[in-house]
Amino acid sequence: MTMLTTAPPALLHAVGDRALTWLDAHRDYFRLTEADLARGDALVERLKPIGELAINMRMLFREGVAGSRQGARAGALLDFAWRELLDGGNVLAAHQHNEPFSPVSLEIYAVFHELGYRHPGLEAALDIPRRTATWRALEMPPSRRLGVLNAERRMGLTPSGDFAEATAATWLGRRPEPWTVHLHIAYDITHTVFHLTNWGEDPGRLPPPLADYLELYLPAWAADWAELQHWDLLGELLIVDACLPRPALDGQLWEQYATAQSGTGAMPVCGAMPEGDPSDVFDIVHHPTLVAAFASAMATSRSLSAGGA
Amino acid sequence: MTEQAQGAAALSAVIADAASEIALALRGEGDPYALSRILRQDDGLSPAAVRVLGADALAPYALDGHPGADGAGGADAAIVHSALTAFPPTGETSAVSVWSYRGLVEASRAFLAGHATSLPEPPEPEADWLASDPWPRLSHRVSQLASLALPGLALGLTDRLTERTEDLARGFVRAVRRRDWLQSAGLGRWLARMPRTPATLGLDDGLRFVRQMSDDPRVAVHVTAAQIFFGRAR
Repeated sequence: MTMLTTAPPALLHAVGDRALTWLDAHRDYFRLTEADLARGDALVERLKPIGELAINMRMLFREGVAGSRQGARAGALLDFAWRELLDGGNVLAAHQHNEPFSPVSLEIYAVFHELGYRHPGLEAALDIPRRTATWRALEMPPSRRLGVLNAERRMGLTPSGDFAEATAATWLGRRPEPWTVHLHIAYDITHTVFHLTNWGEDPGRLPPPLADYLELYLPAWAADWAELQHWDLLGELLIVDACLPRPALDGQLWEQYATAQSGTGAMPVCGAMPEGDPSDVFDIVHHPTLVAAFASAMATSRSLSAGGA
Repeated sequence: MTEQAQGAAALSAVIADAASEIALALRGEGDPYALSRILRQDDGLSPAAVRVLGADALAPYALDGHPGADGAGGADAAIVHSALTAFPPTGETSAVSVWSYRGLVEASRAFLAGHATSLPEPPEPEADWLASDPWPRLSHRVSQLASLALPGLALGLTDRLTERTEDLARGFVRAVRRRDWLQSAGLGRWLARMPRTPATLGLDDGLRFVRQMSDDPRVAVHVTAAQIFFGRAR
């Protein structure tokens, strides 16, 4: 049987190293403005990247593949996010107070909690909302429901629902026709895998039928979105690959992905890097660049471990 | 339009018309099938059209028996013979084209028995790529050989491809995503023949979907062949 060429660890690692350099150099763009803080709906949009930044930095630590320079940088970024961007958790506590039945604060806090950051006031404020029937009845996409359950699990709380049931409700959980996958379905798939495996920490939590399904069809989706130059989604699909029992770490796909990265380390969403005001560019490319750091660390780790292809 | 482009367009039209007739015949509709009734022997484009359609030119005979009683067999054999002699494989011919040529010879032996005499001996096609091609390239090539997916034909090739079932399933997914309906239908036809096509692929609805999305008669031939000969997507 034909084996695809596996990407060399140096290539995998370099993508993340460059992405982290860019994130570090642009960390001030994550800052919340007074206007953000004043408007609840805008705040949620601005909190999301901070949560993503934290998840990424935690994952870099966990996989232990970052060099000492990278590790120090990731640690400094996390401290910066907690102390300066979130004001030691006060921003999350304030949001919890304003929107007590929204899971957003919990979802973001969980990763900091795992890293040892604490805000006892926020934890206390989460207690009663989590006891209500409304908390379990909140309508949201099934993959996000898994994310809430995973956030609770990460904080050592009893999850407010059943993982197997929540998994079965997702698109991936039903393993539908793989040729129907379009952009939004593809993101539902990647997020289901992230929450099930706790962002790649425990690939074993991916139920074997789902892992088999992904192993079979992921290459087809990844090849297609690589051809469409959708780097943000390709990056997420490469993370999913690295979460599989037998990751492909396809050398050709990784070459393409690495080539798409700009000289500064930023990863464009789709096609070429956008141009314009640095703050606007940041808003567009911070997500794919975080994904690049994440994909690189996961893939490097899997390629160096015995489970790597 | 250049002369060459005009020629290509004319050939495409002849192929499309013939494919429509073949699909109709496979569904058991229309007049009784005879290759010599859908392609005229005195039409200069007929040999090339038969060469492109490959074994599918004779596919309806795999359904309801061989021609002969009304004399079509001899005329059919003459058309096939002129196609085989007009475009013989050379050292330059691609592996896919040699396989397709071989498929036409096999189909003539099987379905025009007694009529097709003095058939050329087909060269042994190059086969290493069946094991070594990465799945995207394999899928592309195999879809071009969909006419060989006929009952009793290309059994050795089918065995080799069965080993690559998962890779062809990937190819099908990618082809549908890319809206390459002809490649989708060709791969779907092979997958309909495979004994271990993954249930998660949803091949039956996949083939129905491809048929619905495309108005290419060659797509109709592949999907109908998958239905009639291999019992999928009915």
